[in-house]
Amino acid sequence: MNNYIRIHQVSYSINGQAVLNNIDLSLARNQFVALVGPNGSGKTTLSKLIMGIIAPSRGYILVDSTDVKDLGLANIGSKIGYLFQNPNRQIFAATVMEELTFAYRFKKHQQPQLQQQVNEMLAVFELEHLSQAKTYFLSHGEKQRVALAAILLNDPEYLILDEPTTGLDQKRKKELSSLLQKIRSKNIGMLMISHDHQFVLEQADRIIELDRGGVVNEQHS
Amino acid sequence: MSSTVDPRAKLFLVICLSTLGIVFENIWTLLIVLIAELIYAVMLQANVLTAIKKLRKMLYLIIGIVILQSLFIRTGRVLIGFNHIKIITDVGLIKGAGYLLRVMIIFLSGTIIATSDMRELIQGLIQLKLPYDLAFMASVGIKFLPLLMEQLKDTLIAIQLRGIDLNSLKLKQKLEIYAYIFTPVIVNTLTKAKQISISIEARGFRAFNQRTSIKVLKFKALDYALALSSAIVAGVIIIFNWHLLQI
Repeated sequence: MNNYIRIHQVSYSINGQAVLNNIDLSLARNQFVALVGPNGSGKTTLSKLIMGIIAPSRGYILVDSTDVKDLGLANIGSKIGYLFQNPNRQIFAATVMEELTFAYRFKKHQQPQLQQQVNEMLAVFELEHLSQAKTYFLSHGEKQRVALAAILLNDPEYLILDEPTTGLDQKRKKELSSLLQKIRSKNIGMLMISHDHQFVLEQADRIIELDRGGVVNEQHS
Repeated sequence: MSSTVDPRAKLFLVICLSTLGIVFENIWTLLIVLIAELIYAVMLQANVLTAIKKLRKMLYLIIGIVILQSLFIRTGRVLIGFNHIKIITDVGLIKGAGYLLRVMIIFLSGTIIATSDMRELIQGLIQLKLPYDLAFMASVGIKFLPLLMEQLKDTLIAIQLRGIDLNSLKLKQKLEIYAYIFTPVIVNTLTKAKQISISIEARGFRAFNQRTSIKVLKFKALDYALALSSAIVAGVIIIFNWHLLQI
């Protein structure tokens, strides 16, 4: 299951201004990859290109051997779970329970053991006591856990996490760390965008550094 | 030229021409007002082409309203009818065209105002004695509009990334999805409004009755010329069409 995501000579520019230049990368499902680099280096843009939110100006991206431009957002979302930098952008329902079951209300194929899976997720993310809580009044960390739980209920093959440690204290970072290990054990590949150097060193087995729209360094641990 | 013109002069121009567009019903008068406004818009370097492109997106809605308008007018020569039922008459069609011209006049007024820097426009309103609180509210609203649009777009993307294919949904489900899109936007807007109110109070908003501004607008010769020419154009149109006014 190597090369789950193939980024082939991808460039992206806005109004003639190059944001990404000739990026050539392969991401496997058995890897925890960290994407690091200064602000404006193109990290989030690259993740949006993989998710098909924006289209490359040049080159192409394959997800599970299919060109992203041939997959709709719904298909890509079923394969890759995407955690936005700001969890407010991906929480729509009024309560935590409604948020977790939201997607299945609109899908043709129903999940037979959905309630059991939801309960498991609530337990894993320590959200049981908040299952009926209003999502708007949750803390940043709680919202992030709800968003991640909702993504994982979609049964993704790969995860892209945009700055998952932002706003988390040391205790919550440790919890997130053990949670990511659990996710890895399920053979779900991960690409994490982060500025948190320590967290990246602890978690990732491959670190890709972007600067001014290009890959400037790559480390394997 | 547009950036050097005082926004108050532009406001005066827009008020003159838009008022004519509302007061007069005659299609030829409306056409003259539209042409005059178009000339001013080009002179003020307004983005007329972009405005037309935006208007094109609403073309079906506008045509629909024009047809609907003409359907309810019974007078005039029947152009399209069924047995004795009048569907579209020449008078109805002219009224519909008049409506279209009015929409274009108001739309062009918007593009002329948009040539001003928003901060200057608000300053102009303050110098026209609009209460500062109201002017500030307007400026905050204008600034946050693009952010709200971005949030709506992001939420729609996030919903689809949950594996929901919007095209395959039934109409009832689509409407339900839209409710899910607007709820977080409204909640976030209210939260943001609360945060901003605390923030501006903390920075001394309304601490004193009198406020000073770093940038104070001054009417220059060009501004007087624009305001005067607007008044003359409006006056000439009124004089030549006085007999059409139903006072």
